[in-house]
Amino acid sequence: MPDDSAGTEPAVTPNGATLAAVLAAGIGAFAMGFFVIANEAGIYAAPSLYGPTGGLSGRSTFAVIVWLVAWGVLNARWRNRDVAVGRTLTWTFVLVGLSVVMTFPPVWALL
Amino acid sequence: MLFSDRSLWTMLHGLVLSGGALVLLVTALFSLRAMAAPQGATVPARQSTAFTWLTVATAALLWAAVLGGTYIVFPMYRATPPDGIASLAAYPRALLMSSPDTRWLHAFGMEVKEHVPWIAAMLATAAAFVARRHRTTLLADASLRQITGSLLGISAVLVAFVALLGTFVNKVAPLW
Repeated sequence: MPDDSAGTEPAVTPNGATLAAVLAAGIGAFAMGFFVIANEAGIYAAPSLYGPTGGLSGRSTFAVIVWLVAWGVLNARWRNRDVAVGRTLTWTFVLVGLSVVMTFPPVWALL
Repeated sequence: MLFSDRSLWTMLHGLVLSGGALVLLVTALFSLRAMAAPQGATVPARQSTAFTWLTVATAALLWAAVLGGTYIVFPMYRATPPDGIASLAAYPRALLMSSPDTRWLHAFGMEVKEHVPWIAAMLATAAAFVARRHRTTLLADASLRQITGSLLGISAVLVAFVALLGTFVNKVAPLW
């Protein structure tokens, strides 16, 4: 009789790699916000990597690099162990919330 | 000609890719709830595989929309008009900035559209990774469902907001 379940995964998988991906997304999001608000505040302007797109090409590329590096580092450190879900999710949501605030144009007027 | 190359690119970006990603995001969120199994139960392989591919397709479509928007549509939008041009209709950013009534569509709408979709794409990718890694257990694990649902939910809200702004911009200053 064919087995309709997908039961090849080990019974207990450490959650580290999962939460590394989640927190890395938060860090990447925060990096996006940081590059945006740093640009608006005149602190740091990411260079244009593709002329027709302008500074957005630099800001977004750098944010993606931060995201992928953070993911790689966190995954290497956490992949074989369990990590606190609640704390990691809270940090992720805080970082995403901050990123949305920093990319919100009315906030730039306050700088 | 009914549609120009520029308007076709805009439609591909806005309707097919971004719209498709939003539909898939909502479908994934609905599926997460509709296909939820009791804690620890064995999930039928067809359901877990379908959900995994749904999240992967969502992230892929969202990245296609973000990259296409940034590197194909946005340059056409922000092109600088030559001096002395009679009509700004072919230069959406300049057209929006030319009137106090529409300036906010660039200063707020397009500025949000430039950056927020990247955040949504990263979150959707994390959701797809979680779904792929835990494809056999996710639907029967409340904690994993919460994580995935949170990522997809935030991503969906961001994409919906950006899509609304895109509709406004395209209504007032379309790429002909």
